[in-house]
Amino acid sequence: MIPYEIEDNLSTENWMVGDVKAGFPSPAEDIHEKLDLIKLLVRNPASTFFFRIDGVSMVDAAMDEGDIIIVDRSIEPYNGCLAVCFIDGGYTVKRVEIHGKELHLLPANESNRSYKPIIVTPDNQFMVWGLVTYVIKKV
Amino acid sequence: MYALADCNNFFVSCERVFRPDLNGKPVIVLSNNDGCTVARSNEAKALGIKMGVPLFKIRHLVEKHGVIVFSGNMALYGDMSRRVRLTLQEFAPSLEVYSIDEVFLDLHGMQIEDLSSYAREISRICLRNTGIPVSIGISPTKTLAKIASKLCKQYPKLQGGCYMHRPEDIEKVLRKFPVEDVWGIGRKTTPKLYQRGIRTAFDFVKIDEERVRRLMGITGVRTHRELRGIPSIKFEDSVVTKQSICVSSSFSKEITDCKELCSQVANFAAKAAEKLRGQGSVAFEMMVFAMTNRFRENMPQAYKSILVPFVEPTGEQRTIVAAAVAAIRELFDARMAYKKAGVVITRLEQRNQITGSLFEDSEAAERESRISYLIDSINQQYGHGSIRIGVQGDGSIHKLSEHRSPHYTTLWSDIPTASL
Repeated sequence: MIPYEIEDNLSTENWMVGDVKAGFPSPAEDIHEKLDLIKLLVRNPASTFFFRIDGVSMVDAAMDEGDIIIVDRSIEPYNGCLAVCFIDGGYTVKRVEIHGKELHLLPANESNRSYKPIIVTPDNQFMVWGLVTYVIKKV
Repeated sequence: MYALADCNNFFVSCERVFRPDLNGKPVIVLSNNDGCTVARSNEAKALGIKMGVPLFKIRHLVEKHGVIVFSGNMALYGDMSRRVRLTLQEFAPSLEVYSIDEVFLDLHGMQIEDLSSYAREISRICLRNTGIPVSIGISPTKTLAKIASKLCKQYPKLQGGCYMHRPEDIEKVLRKFPVEDVWGIGRKTTPKLYQRGIRTAFDFVKIDEERVRRLMGITGVRTHRELRGIPSIKFEDSVVTKQSICVSSSFSKEITDCKELCSQVANFAAKAAEKLRGQGSVAFEMMVFAMTNRFRENMPQAYKSILVPFVEPTGEQRTIVAAAVAAIRELFDARMAYKKAGVVITRLEQRNQITGSLFEDSEAAERESRISYLIDSINQQYGHGSIRIGVQGDGSIHKLSEHRSPHYTTLWSDIPTASL
């Protein structure tokens, strides 16, 4: 019952309204449109998760150390997708390619050839955890 | 038709989403304060670890079989539960959230050709979106849907979805289904039924409805009808306001200092009062309790509680916290070492249904209401416990959670790392 009064008394917006009362009413008053980053970046809130990047094997795919990636589990993996993979106890991000009956996990770092593709074998504990949809980086 | 979505070994499954290496291994989750087992993986169940057993009683099993132990991570479980609900919303126009890991779906009015494959599809999408394995049971009543969902866990061939509707199929299932596992049949009723030779759900269905009424009252009759395929339990898709609010916890180590105990109880009271206002209620009464560690048999034992009636029904922060602190001061005994305490706010009424009293100082009441409102606004914006009453101390509750996993989905500092 009381809360609204407090808001009315304290809110600066209302001071402003008081000041311009006699002026021309704002034509934008009823428009509640605003840009929502979450709406842009998260298509399916139920299946979207965030990971932090550690390492430089994917710099050519725009993923640098410390970046945050947005991962959506609801997208079915496809040949050539960028994915968070769980392999032998740890997470990594790689491009997943299907070569015949083999799965290859490809790095993306042209300047450092020591990153070799990983060929997934039945001996690996492996799963595609989710697909990378966006990279958030500080410039 | 109704569906029940039941998350398999939910707390364990939440931990495994972020630790896929734990699939196939025995995992348990402990309650608040690392006390008792509240969730077990199938592998842990197979080792004979029972629900509710304290950790110290199964130490030998944990060590011998390398059982992985987690402290409860409620922030994670709450968030994963929300994700499962969001996913389920796509499959039915209305949901009833029955508990953190169970949701009913009302499928009436939907045109679905093949409900068996619909059930499997719901399960598949839940797993894909959230990583949580969910059992979907579809049947003409909520009670039967619950039984159908249990079948999914017994028979992996069902692929997480079971549509049970033909009377002959239902009969076959009920003949094998233990009566005590039927939703709505409590621990107290079971021995009564056993004495009369009623052991399966089918035995129960076969008895006369009038006899059920005499034995178990109207709730028994409802269950009886539901098992016969007649919907008799309401679908509660609206948020049910709680009739009592309890906030309590055990402490990581025993508290012997009155001031420290006061600050802990003040935090419980503050949290309970916030919840109370959150659902728009006021309370007539509050119970405050404190107890010693019952597992320490060589120490003096006490369990004491005080019932505090409020002169005027209230939801105000300062009133409730002050009353809780006064009560705990009264029951505090300096010879005791307290292990657990809590507050239970009861006899709730919706605030807008309360008429003002003659004796109430309306100006003071309005002031308190403004203070509570400001506390709630500040804490909502800047995080729980940002503004506190002095007696709450630093606002922390001394809980033990040695094996807690990161808040993977709710704290930026805790999100998982991918090593490239």
